[in-house]
Amino acid sequence: MVSLLKRSAAEFIGTMLLVFFGAGAAAMTLMLVEGEETPNTFNIGIGLLGGLGDWLAIGLAFGITVMAVIYTFGRVSGAHINPAVSVALWAKGLFPSTDMVAYVVAQLFGALAGSLAFAFSVGPEAVLVGGLGATAPFTGITVWEALLAEIIGTFLLMLVIMGAAVDEKATPGFAGIAIGLTVAGIITTIGNISGASINPARSFGPMIADLVLGGPNVVGVYWIYIVGPIAGAMIAAFLYSWIVKED
Amino acid sequence: MKCYICAEQGKDTDAVAICIVCGMGLCMNHAIREEEELWEGGYPFPSKKVSKTLPRILCPACYEAIKKE
Ligand SMILES: [Zn+2]
Ligand SMILES: [Zn+2]
Repeated sequence: MVSLLKRSAAEFIGTMLLVFFGAGAAAMTLMLVEGEETPNTFNIGIGLLGGLGDWLAIGLAFGITVMAVIYTFGRVSGAHINPAVSVALWAKGLFPSTDMVAYVVAQLFGALAGSLAFAFSVGPEAVLVGGLGATAPFTGITVWEALLAEIIGTFLLMLVIMGAAVDEKATPGFAGIAIGLTVAGIITTIGNISGASINPARSFGPMIADLVLGGPNVVGVYWIYIVGPIAGAMIAAFLYSWIVKED
Repeated sequence: MKCYICAEQGKDTDAVAICIVCGMGLCMNHAIREEEELWEGGYPFPSKKVSKTLPRILCPACYEAIKKE
């Protein structure tokens, strides 16, 4: 196994890419429809181009990056690129505490680097119009509804990680495709509810970069994207073990 | 079984091993024994090199053919 420093570097790079391409796709969609009239307040512009297809495109930008990182760094660091995944594996006793803390720190800083890199690639409009793809509950959605959507979304993500990767009986080699497509599917449905973070780092990067660069302030709702994903991932990890355990 | 390579050279030597790829019988002089690294784990965990290794016996021809650069 490579050193914790190198594994943390892999987590940093993986999460940076996730936020650059995934959250970047959300920001880019908002920039593409800037100035267009939306049919209702629930539609903030994502959905104006192709309905749910806009969310599918954003979901695939996330999912394809997740797949790429899993096949690249999966054997190096485990390619968690999501604090909820690292914490859930740690809670199950499958991942050491020091490694978990180092991974989470690397993921948070990687996400911030990804958001800053996107802002510097696109310019001020990415921050002012796109909000760097920051997450917040959509118009008409309460924080509790958004929290529930995040719990259920991350529950599905972690359930697939358990079944397709952690379980020793899983068919080898398919986890990256399965998990990447699952991420795309989750975002397609819950994108317009909570922003579909399902990852505390993915929300942290745009939130801090927006604060630094003068974008929207979403700090007040950030707790949703810590509590929801971690709760959903923990429920899935423990429930999966219980379900597959032979009586 | 006799060593195939020795037999080609007109010598009659008992085989002590078999090439795992082509099945050739090999004497002590012609068998190449290498240790293969073993790794465990992998996504979503970092994979670890196991301290144990897996012995592999090859004939000189197969060894040359599949030798890593
Ligand atoms: Zn051979
Ligand atoms: Zn011989």
